[in-house]
Amino acid sequence: MFRLFLATTALALPLAAHATEKADVLTNYANIAEAKYGDSLATAQTLQTAVEALIAEPSAEALQAAKTAWLAARVPYQQTEVYRFGNAIVDDWEGKVNAWPLDEGLIDYVDASYGGPSDENPAAALNVIANPSFTLGGAEVDANEITPELLSDTLHEADEVEANVATGYHAIEFLLWGQDLNGHGYGPGSRPWTDYAQGDDCTGDNCDRRAAYLKAATDLLVSDLEWMAAQWAEGGDARAALMEDESAGISAILTGMGSLSYGEQAGERMRLGLMLNDPEEEHDCFADNTHNSHFFDGLGIRNVYLGRYVGTDGSVTEGASVSDLVAAADAELDAELRGKLDATVLALGEIKTAAEAGFSYDMMLEAGNAKGEALVMGGVNALVDQTRSIEKAVSVLGLDAIEFEGSDSLDDPDAVFQ
Amino acid sequence: MRVLLMACFLALPLPGQASELLIALRDSYIRPGFDRLQQESANLEAVSKEHCAPEDTELRTAFGSAWDAWIAVAHLRFGPTETDNRAFSLGFWPDTRGTVPKTLAAMIAAENPAVKDPAQFSEMSIAAHGFTALEFLLYDPALAAPSPYHCTLVQAVTTDIAKTSAAIAADWNGPYGAGYGAPGPDAPFASDLDALSKTYTAMLTGLEFNINARLGRPLGSFDRPRPTRAEARRAGRSLRHVQLSLASLHDLASILMLDLEGAEMVESAFITAREAAAALDDPVFAGVAAPQSRLRIEALQQDLKKIDELARLHASAGLGVSQGFNALDGD
Repeated sequence: MFRLFLATTALALPLAAHATEKADVLTNYANIAEAKYGDSLATAQTLQTAVEALIAEPSAEALQAAKTAWLAARVPYQQTEVYRFGNAIVDDWEGKVNAWPLDEGLIDYVDASYGGPSDENPAAALNVIANPSFTLGGAEVDANEITPELLSDTLHEADEVEANVATGYHAIEFLLWGQDLNGHGYGPGSRPWTDYAQGDDCTGDNCDRRAAYLKAATDLLVSDLEWMAAQWAEGGDARAALMEDESAGISAILTGMGSLSYGEQAGERMRLGLMLNDPEEEHDCFADNTHNSHFFDGLGIRNVYLGRYVGTDGSVTEGASVSDLVAAADAELDAELRGKLDATVLALGEIKTAAEAGFSYDMMLEAGNAKGEALVMGGVNALVDQTRSIEKAVSVLGLDAIEFEGSDSLDDPDAVFQ
Repeated sequence: MRVLLMACFLALPLPGQASELLIALRDSYIRPGFDRLQQESANLEAVSKEHCAPEDTELRTAFGSAWDAWIAVAHLRFGPTETDNRAFSLGFWPDTRGTVPKTLAAMIAAENPAVKDPAQFSEMSIAAHGFTALEFLLYDPALAAPSPYHCTLVQAVTTDIAKTSAAIAADWNGPYGAGYGAPGPDAPFASDLDALSKTYTAMLTGLEFNINARLGRPLGSFDRPRPTRAEARRAGRSLRHVQLSLASLHDLASILMLDLEGAEMVESAFITAREAAAALDDPVFAGVAAPQSRLRIEALQQDLKKIDELARLHASAGLGVSQGFNALDGD
């Protein structure tokens, strides 16, 4: 189909290098989503197996294996984040799996320095694992049995407080690593494996309930990812919604790229943490995996623009891209945007490299740490810079007019906000 | 849709007109706003040298005037306000994790010596800076206990506010402001349209901040109103901030949309909203919790949404601009 199309346009329009159809771009974008969420599901299932092994036979090795599986699961998932902000179905769902930041005292024991209930969140130190029944948002809750339904329907965002994160990657991260009490010093959380030991070896109390919580949260993550992967498969709702209106679909792609680059990653996740010098203001704070979380977000933005994704098993999903569309309209702008996306990946790569060599992200956030600030700001500036070119791409592709038809595009932050 | 596109072609400003518009925005709106912030902040710093007790009337008055001046320009989030995180430093809000009181409490408990050195103090977490921090230090019972250290801390914050405000005003009165009025390859904006788009985005972002944050946060949901999330409630200024911001956004819209089709509709929507705000008589939006009074706050929010809708429709078509990404785009 594509080749045939190329042949005919080559005859009709000898000056155009190649003409790309929007429908092909959308199909490839949906294929990449299907591949990314599929990889996220597969790696979460590996995590699930590791968690079950940890619970069945707790040991230091089993805990480490679960941590390793969690880290691997983040690689494809973070690359899907660029599907947020433009696709309502992803936005409505995303909070279940990747909500952050969280008041972890809701879930389990915390250090005394954590404090108690706050103005914003009366349940900040509820500790569900230690309490089989409690009052939450005025209602009596029976948490004798910890089930996926208890987590998703009763605890998650309880009392309409977003920091009550009871499910998803970060809840699991906390249950595997524990609080990072090193402040700006090196090292992640150091939860002992004996927090899962049964009988007299149990530390931190309520090891059975902790294990039940971890299992429920992991099972829920797998079922949530199963659902999302299905939405992007042939005949899925996310794919169908994207295809409804071709221009709105292209706009959704660019909206996701721009919003993730600017307001979310450069702003909320990176610059704010730096300004507050708060070591808890890092996205994967328990595991000290923030450098990867940022890096794979940046990579995800780039692979959506280029229309090419390399999966966790090396399989490649590729095809017509927004880059092709922009190049046809303004080759110079396409080159500019490609260059900026590369620069961002490189800048985020520098943070990742330094972190992996021992200069972890929370150390970079310390007040007066000029080298850390320079690294983080290198990422922020690159993300802000690429946003400018994304805005130009929106304009070059003539997508502005979409807003007049009431589509949720760049111009409806209200929709994005919710 | 077709009608709008037509309007777009008819009203698209010629290059000469666009740069005149930029100069008008700069000279009669942006620069005066930041000049006033600089003056009021310098006055606040001077007053605090003599009056540093939290309940001192002169200090509180100077604080209120300087904060007023900031709220009037706080939506101009580009260029000089973004350099060195100046806007965040002056007005960090909302603070959903309670970082400001936590940081201040830790400083007071440890008598952190950074307060004695302005350079060192400005390197500290922005949670210790600006009007939000100063409000806690003057009005929050847990953080407003007078002591010699508290006095030094108040003075450190006012000095930092004055320094930051002066830096923003200097940039607008210097090369940045000159470049804003004359876009080109070496200026902050490559074209008139880029500069206008940025200003237009700032206006809409300001409106949306009033809708979603200043009003939306205390409103919460009907079942779970959140009066303690109102901005500046400790100083009793929550409604005042909406009014000040609205008045300033009204001025901005009047210049930006001068001669545009639909300008009168935007004008009258502003007047409606400002009258509703003036009649509200609920300084900290405590009424969000009771159905009757809540309705009036929701109605004000609707009035603002109406302005947003109309401004978006008519300004984007008339100026030929589109809204860029803004800091609220994340979650």
